[in-house]
Amino acid sequence: MRNIFERVKQWNTLTRIWHLYDAKWQDPFDSAKVIQKYLKGLHKPIYHPLADCGDHVVVINCKEIAMRGDEWRKRAYFHHTGYAGGGTYTLAWELHDKNPLMIMKKAVYRSMKGNLQRRYTMERLHLYAEENVPQDIIENISSVIPQLRDVPMRLDRMPEDQVKGYPKIWDLPKDYVVR
Amino acid sequence: MLRSITGMNNGLSFMKQMLLSANVRCFSVAAVNRVKEIIVTKDNKKTIIEGILKPSDRVNLLLDPPADTNHEACSICRLDVDIKHTDVLILSQFMRSDGGMLPRRVTGLCRTQQKRMSKLVTMALKAGLMPNLAPANSKRDPARRDKFKKNHRYFDESTIRPPFRMKYPEDRSLH
Repeated sequence: MRNIFERVKQWNTLTRIWHLYDAKWQDPFDSAKVIQKYLKGLHKPIYHPLADCGDHVVVINCKEIAMRGDEWRKRAYFHHTGYAGGGTYTLAWELHDKNPLMIMKKAVYRSMKGNLQRRYTMERLHLYAEENVPQDIIENISSVIPQLRDVPMRLDRMPEDQVKGYPKIWDLPKDYVVR
Repeated sequence: MLRSITGMNNGLSFMKQMLLSANVRCFSVAAVNRVKEIIVTKDNKKTIIEGILKPSDRVNLLLDPPADTNHEACSICRLDVDIKHTDVLILSQFMRSDGGMLPRRVTGLCRTQQKRMSKLVTMALKAGLMPNLAPANSKRDPARRDKFKKNHRYFDESTIRPPFRMKYPEDRSLH
């Protein structure tokens, strides 16, 4: 053991770390690819499929996920009850109305290979629709997974002097009637 | 102004310069662009409609064009920056207060950039990034929109057709 950092590195590898991920304005399918690596422990040097070295990931703001372009109404989720004629297709926005956690959960579940370990790995995923997380979960968190996309700023929420004082790239023509 | 004074010595070159400068947008400190504001005041039995000329509030905030600028390029080709649909501070400069896009004869952009800007504005409006620029009957809050429109959406600028990403060709004479 060379120094204190090496020691901490070893603790982080051999213990279960709790990571926080803010899903606000994030694509659930891109995020799932990142989250599943932490759940399986792929980011650790000692990773082996049989070594139980995966971490916990707490995902907050699942209600605020963003999808690209038309995907909210183009993506359909299929479910079959098992009875004849029991198949249903639910659009992504309809599913999100019913359960704001389901799209994120299915995205992570599908990003992993279907083996016996998958159900146990999913147990380490903790999803929350909003920012309020129970205290006993918050206490464990010691790491943050960086967001994949910047959260865009809304024009009406920017300070007014910043909007008015921002450099203009062209001027209105003479005799333009302001509307 | 400099163009016309030097051109006065020779009538032919003056005409030539007049023709050449037809499409050139002048950027100078001295010229003040004025915009017109129409004010409607209603008294009893009397309605006064007056148009007031006032200096544009953009005058002091205008970006200086780069030293090696090509004056035939439009204001966005000249900047040579990659504008995204989340850059609402730039996109809102091309919009009216009711959320409409200003026409090309007002913005003075080239055909390519006008098309690209209008697509970016559409993306930003669909993503609900400019809810304050909307018609009077708008709900304003994107979360109150109908069905799939109420959820967050983002867009990929590479889905805009390739000619619109074309950059202005470099000036070979400088190298």
